[in-house]
Amino acid sequence: MPSSSEAARIAVDRVLCTGHGVCAQTLPGAIVLDEWGYPVLRHEAVEPEAAALAVKLCPARALYLR
Amino acid sequence: MTNIAELLETAGLTGRGGAAFSTAIKLKAARENGAELIVNACDGELGAAKDAWIVAHHLHELIDGAALVAGGRRPHIRYAAHRGSRTAGLLASAGLPVLEVPHRYVSSEETALISLAQGGLAKPMTKRAPFVFGGRDSQGRKVPPTVVLNAETVWRVSQIHRLGAEWFRSFGTSAEPGPRLVAVGGHVARPGMYEASAGVALSDLLDSAGGLPPDARHVGVGGLGGVVLTAAEARSTIWETPGMKRHGGALGPGIVTVWNPAECPIETAARMISYGAGESAGQCGPCMFGMPALAADWTDLARNPTGKGRDHLLLRLSQLERRGACAHPDGVARFAQSALRTLAPEFAAHANHACQKGHKRHAQFV
Repeated sequence: MPSSSEAARIAVDRVLCTGHGVCAQTLPGAIVLDEWGYPVLRHEAVEPEAAALAVKLCPARALYLR
Repeated sequence: MTNIAELLETAGLTGRGGAAFSTAIKLKAARENGAELIVNACDGELGAAKDAWIVAHHLHELIDGAALVAGGRRPHIRYAAHRGSRTAGLLASAGLPVLEVPHRYVSSEETALISLAQGGLAKPMTKRAPFVFGGRDSQGRKVPPTVVLNAETVWRVSQIHRLGAEWFRSFGTSAEPGPRLVAVGGHVARPGMYEASAGVALSDLLDSAGGLPPDARHVGVGGLGGVVLTAAEARSTIWETPGMKRHGGALGPGIVTVWNPAECPIETAARMISYGAGESAGQCGPCMFGMPALAADWTDLARNPTGKGRDHLLLRLSQLERRGACAHPDGVARFAQSALRTLAPEFAAHANHACQKGHKRHAQFV
């Protein structure tokens, strides 16, 4: 986990999330999936570049930065 | 309006809907952003009745309070009440603009009311930032600045304006000042609305409603988003945040319910959890799927209490925390966690096929 000064904070719009599960692959470690494929945030602080990519790749546009 | 926000800050008024957020801060933000005020008179929590009581008995003070909060010459204020309720009727007869809310548990949640007020469905919205600043819903539709205050909070504003911050602070504790309405219900002689304040013994609160009956075994505090205590715990608990926190609870929206001792408490809890599962708005996956799964796990554990089943339930509960747009799954998970702890002796009895209520239904109920 990066130090808090350089980290981006990710969050999930739960209304938009439809459980594609892409975020768990773009942010392994920070996000795991529950039994239905919805993301569980292990921690919110991730590297900004990885976070930006994960946000861009979310098919439901549900992942966002705080 | 010299400075109503300062007055409320001195008084220490916090939201009476359960979140206990500073009303002064909310009011300031509402004024700065020209927010519409929605007075929530829905009594949305199980066992709640105070909003209806205020509308029935103190409507003029409620109207005064709303005007004080909203400020300005043409304030934009609406009153939210359940469609077809007596409260909605009383508000409409007084010529007030009523936001008619469907009869669903989550429909009177803060962001659900804001969505409904904007012509959307009465379903919670993701709160990326407080809607008092305005914002957008998940579909990108613009939401104008809106603030929601519980009816009791608004009523207290008018009281503080009239009687002063010192009067307000003469009730309760220094950390949680002011009088509070509490609906005492269930298995008591005189169910009804009582005025209390933080720091009273829960047993005194129950005494005003006729006392905790000798056969009572469990007391719910805070409804479906609250906790359940044993009668012994209820007798020794002080009704204030530190006292309630020890049991995982809070003051919440002012609800104390003595459970019916004729019913198996595991089944009472099962009924409440199943109701909560059915009241999911069906928007957020972890709630839509997790809540019915929780209800099923609870039923399984009631039928066959094992350590493994208990661990499974605890994992399920942890996966409901902070994973919805609103706090409905968090509230039901908190309730289930509390019931699991408090009803440990009953679960043990079920394991030995010795439910004290003697009903045989556990073997069958699904």
